[in-house]
Amino acid sequence: MSYTLVVAEVRRGVFEERNMDSFGISTLLGKDIYLVVPDGSSGPGEMFASRVITVRTGEEIFSNPLNIKGIVEQIMSENGKPSCIVFTHSSSGMECAAYLAGAFGFPLITDISGFDKEKNIFLKSYYSDKIFGEFEFRADKTLVLTVRSGSFRKSAVVKGAAAAVDVIENIAISGDRTFIEYVEEEQAGIDITKADFLLSIGRGAGSKDEVPEYEELADLLNAVLSGSRPVIDKAWLPKSRQVGISGKTVKPKVYLAMGISGAFHHMAGMKDSECIIAVNKDSNAPIFESAHYGFVGDIHKVRDKLKAIVKEATVHKG
Amino acid sequence: MHILVFTKRVPATQEEELRIQGDGKLDLSRLPFKMNDYDNYAVEAALRIVEKSGGSVTAITLGDKESDEVLGRAIAMGANDGLLLEQPEVLHDPYARAFLISSFIKKENIAFDAVFTGVQSEDDQFGAVGGILAALLNLPYSSMVIGIDEVDEAGAVVRRELEGGIHERIRVKAPCVLSIQSGINEPRYVSIMGIRKASSVERKVFKADSYGGGGSPLIRVVRWVYPPKQGGATMLRGELESVCKDLLGILKEKGVWQ
Repeated sequence: MSYTLVVAEVRRGVFEERNMDSFGISTLLGKDIYLVVPDGSSGPGEMFASRVITVRTGEEIFSNPLNIKGIVEQIMSENGKPSCIVFTHSSSGMECAAYLAGAFGFPLITDISGFDKEKNIFLKSYYSDKIFGEFEFRADKTLVLTVRSGSFRKSAVVKGAAAAVDVIENIAISGDRTFIEYVEEEQAGIDITKADFLLSIGRGAGSKDEVPEYEELADLLNAVLSGSRPVIDKAWLPKSRQVGISGKTVKPKVYLAMGISGAFHHMAGMKDSECIIAVNKDSNAPIFESAHYGFVGDIHKVRDKLKAIVKEATVHKG
Repeated sequence: MHILVFTKRVPATQEEELRIQGDGKLDLSRLPFKMNDYDNYAVEAALRIVEKSGGSVTAITLGDKESDEVLGRAIAMGANDGLLLEQPEVLHDPYARAFLISSFIKKENIAFDAVFTGVQSEDDQFGAVGGILAALLNLPYSSMVIGIDEVDEAGAVVRRELEGGIHERIRVKAPCVLSIQSGINEPRYVSIMGIRKASSVERKVFKADSYGGGGSPLIRVVRWVYPPKQGGATMLRGELESVCKDLLGILKEKGVWQ
């Protein structure tokens, strides 16, 4: 009986919630689920896996692609080849999955967000979620997957029986890549997670010269200005204003997104906002799927018109 | 230090509507193409290292003839030379791409101290070629490199971007493969004149067939589909003025603006 191997993501002692999506897809795949974790936290792993394999090492050594290769090699020599190896689609999951696929010549599909069991086909995003590809794979080999957070967790099913427990005492630790320390990014300026109303701009804002115009609109509306990754990468706004997986997760009352197409890594940071309003010139921008209100149009024109209306109203109030 | 930087020519789809044709193919012919944005940061990161401590940068691209244009851009930024590994069809399988590249590097005995790639390409978002390539070349690997703190003969100390504003500082021995995250630097501006000048630098062209071509892919796209529907937004329609008033009405109703 073959099995699905879930490689846990544990960061700073926390069994990451996105591991639940790995359990979800593994449940759908229908094989026994083996979970491999570093020392410390296996979270709710025992509830979903039929076997929990603890590696007697810290997370820093565990989540290093060079070491994961040796760990998986040991598991395969004890248990045979799994039919599938599942990682989270995260910073560590991505690099470990790719390295493993290369090391063993396994097929790899990353960032999967859907699965058709009947056809044995996986859904993967292309072009910032504007199009998806349906993938088939060489079924005679172990398939390596990274799983998009939030896509499968509802499919995870708690097992009735207690999980078997295995321990790997010794692993070969690579000296070619070594952990030094965790570093927190500097936190400066305003805390966008505390704002009730965020006006957020994306690549569609066009250039840095336009940013002061959006700052003025934010001031007029008593909103706080934030941005998507490209805006921060291009240094149009400081890092502290970034919304998304690698920035801040926000839940304001209103999130007004202007010129943001709504790729997954952005949506993951703001999808729980009470009300999302999106303005974009592309009527097919993915953000319109998750927004509550949308308008297809030129964001600069909307900005200028909003400013004019608000200014006029203020004058009339005197 | 001699650094190979992999660059890719991709369609600029950010502001474009993508349509699936009757035959199931994606029509990309009307789209402008450009260098993968992440690769801009990788080229810049490589240039900054050699400008500081000597060495050279070679830009490499795997793709059709037109991909020469991204080599031109990399050379205009400051790369010393460019190699085109010509492969007419798009290879959707990252393993097939990485395998072809590793065969090419081995067969041509291309020397290097480090290979840089962008963290992912904007079109397929696999984020996998660097990692597979590193394993095939049996070299240490790091992805999501958001800072390069130290570089010496033995290797580098780099910072990897994790989630939620945390970085991981690691030491990687050379030779190595690093996938560079966007935002690590501000890629330099390239003028039209610069690109014209770069076109006079001769590029070497290699045919992918000589290195096994696409080989037998491990995964395959069966078909393209539009994103799954999730309900969708209530769309505001009408004249700009009335839409903006509606929008302010929503802000008022939600209690964030009076």
